[in-house]
Amino acid sequence: MNILRNRWLAMGLGISMLMLLNACEVTGVGVEGTVGYDAGYYEPYGYDYGGWGGGYRVGPGRGGDRRGGHPSHSYRAAPSSRPTPSIPSGPRRH
Amino acid sequence: MRQMSRLKFTAPVSLSLLLSSLCIPALHAAPFELPALNSPASTEHHPGKVVWADLVTPDIAAAERFYGALLGWTFQTIHTGASDYAVAMIDGRPVGGLVQKSIPNGEQRQSAWLTFIAVGDVDAAKRAAVAHGAKVLADARNYPARGRQAVFADPEGAVFAILASSSGDTPDFLAAPGEWIWSSLLSRDPGAEAAFYQQLFSYDVFDLASDDGREHVILSSDNFARASANAFPDESKRRHAHWLNFIRVASTAEAAAKVAALGGRVLVEPHEDRHGGQAAVVADPAGAPFGLMEWSDSDSKAEPK
Repeated sequence: MNILRNRWLAMGLGISMLMLLNACEVTGVGVEGTVGYDAGYYEPYGYDYGGWGGGYRVGPGRGGDRRGGHPSHSYRAAPSSRPTPSIPSGPRRH
Repeated sequence: MRQMSRLKFTAPVSLSLLLSSLCIPALHAAPFELPALNSPASTEHHPGKVVWADLVTPDIAAAERFYGALLGWTFQTIHTGASDYAVAMIDGRPVGGLVQKSIPNGEQRQSAWLTFIAVGDVDAAKRAAVAHGAKVLADARNYPARGRQAVFADPEGAVFAILASSSGDTPDFLAAPGEWIWSSLLSRDPGAEAAFYQQLFSYDVFDLASDDGREHVILSSDNFARASANAFPDESKRRHAHWLNFIRVASTAEAAAKVAALGGRVLVEPHEDRHGGQAAVVADPAGAPFGLMEWSDSDSKAEPK
């Protein structure tokens, strides 16, 4: 009788799992991220913005900014004859 | 005994129906539609240009109040089965997105603006990124109106996204007040980082003379400056590489004061930047940092012919 009862239980659980998996797969939950938006990433906590003295600047120049003259060997530096570009200045086209 | 067996069978089935119902509401939810970058669509493409930014925040309502009051942004909320997303608009144009995401209890996480850089082919860029040391945080995925996008951590851990817009990239024009005008990468080794991003976006890289003795480079495409890569200042204690995006404002000092009045913080006081205008770094009430930058219309160069 115990065997019979366990078979019923196993069959019930098996069908339950199949139904649950089917429902979640159809909706996308847990299959390929979520049905919502998956680009929201928190970053490791704690940026530090100390030490931005008067000479520490990260913005663009107006174009033609002076080159350092000693570019890193990590990247392919633009030719020294090319002036440093600035950001776009044109008006919005409607 | 037979009744007992039936109970053993029906109880798990009933439970499964209940659990399945947790998934079914998502099936009936409206499809998650991000707005197109351009309407009407164009065929213009600018690989390497920063074309979008998403804020991940634990309190989207508070973020809407803050950015609305500071910059005049309005919002269109999209409810989804898993998260809420609000499109920030200025003068009817989409300017960025806000993503609601809770922070697990006991964890300290950094709310941040995620920088999206334009590419022509997300999958090719993904292969190049991984081959040069990036880690995939969100695999390539299509959003019908928006395009195909993916999220990475670069070799130093700075989080960024790439986007192949299905409506073309935003044209090159001078950002209006309230729009993103500039992006900077802060890192330990800007030269190595510049090399990494050059592999992905074919940037022209310009080394700059600096007054602080630190390395600063400009990343350029289409003969426009798109972003800078910068070494951390010497005094920085927590040196986690990250992207920092700047919004154009009419007055940096006034905007910074308003940030503080609205519950945010001023991280770097207004100061003169390379172009001669004032810039500052601030954080919203949830701690997400962003920059403020003035730019007079006469400061930038004419469009290249």
